[in-house]
Amino acid sequence: MTESKIYLRDGRTKALVEASLFDEATSDHLALWDRDWVPAMQAFCAGKSLSEKPEDSHWDWRRKSRAATGLLGYHTLAIVCADDLQGLMMANDISSARLPQQFGKPLIYVDFLATAPWNRPQIQDPPRYRGVGQVFLLAAIELSMSVGFKGRVGLHSLPDAEAFYENKCGFTRLGSDSSHQGLIYFEITDKQADAFRQRN
Amino acid sequence: MKLDYLKEWFERNIEREGTFEIGAGIPPTPSAVAPVSSQNVELLDTRIAFGQFVALWRRNKGWNAERLASAAGIDPEEVLQIEYDPHALPEPDAVYKLAKVFELSPRPLLELAGLVVGRTPHLREEAIRFAARSESIKALTETERQAFEAFVATLAELKD
Repeated sequence: MTESKIYLRDGRTKALVEASLFDEATSDHLALWDRDWVPAMQAFCAGKSLSEKPEDSHWDWRRKSRAATGLLGYHTLAIVCADDLQGLMMANDISSARLPQQFGKPLIYVDFLATAPWNRPQIQDPPRYRGVGQVFLLAAIELSMSVGFKGRVGLHSLPDAEAFYENKCGFTRLGSDSSHQGLIYFEITDKQADAFRQRN
Repeated sequence: MKLDYLKEWFERNIEREGTFEIGAGIPPTPSAVAPVSSQNVELLDTRIAFGQFVALWRRNKGWNAERLASAAGIDPEEVLQIEYDPHALPEPDAVYKLAKVFELSPRPLLELAGLVVGRTPHLREEAIRFAARSESIKALTETERQAFEAFVATLAELKD
């Protein structure tokens, strides 16, 4: 397991604070998910109808992690700051690109990406930390580079994040995918990934 | 894999997140990935019956899907998936929890769900008979009619 130093922005003071990205989510991270993340999500969802709950409110990261454990090609990543879990991501390196200019080439596919409830402006104002999503995308691109996929990444966006991937991160929108409950599929090419890594 | 970026990269880029709620991923729809085989067709028969049984059980109690999910300690989405998508393979854990709420042995329910090899004589035939007889032929209740008309109105507003 490798730990990388990263930075998040404190939502209250606006200062950058040091945090850690782990390229393997451990049982300790999942224990933090159980201890803090689940109760916070349950508290927010209490009394709300299905349509009012966050799209990932029912995700069971223990089950997701267990399913991926020991499988070659699957990666679970965690971000920790101030001893608290701030986000989780699962990605695989056994998927292929769909964009015409890179069709069939291997890429990193982001299976699941979520930030902790207290980092979401819709749940907590101000959010505790911002930047978790950016760091995970950077990590997915670096993972892609490290396995020789030149930064190619694909994902199905949750509805609230579509404009972020398209307008803020330079992903190409490929349209609604009926095999994934109509979610919009996005992909980033090696050149777009390079721009993401070097952008000012 | 190690990230080796200067603090300035984060300083420049975190603001781009704005107030977006960032997330990705959803499991593929099981019916879109399940291979078709004669065994699957048999499983579909029993899963349709399983789904109808779950739906009738809760309706008999006057419960909605959320209430059943809450009683069993599973996701409402799992209840709806069991009731409406016979292509979906239910989680064994969910079937055990539902069996507990129904006060039934989990074994036949696991068989119906296709999670264990069928060994109960005539279970499939009984399941098909149940599924065929239990399809509602009753007129819609007032609540159902209102929900139906509201949904039709929503569909009518949608453009191509």
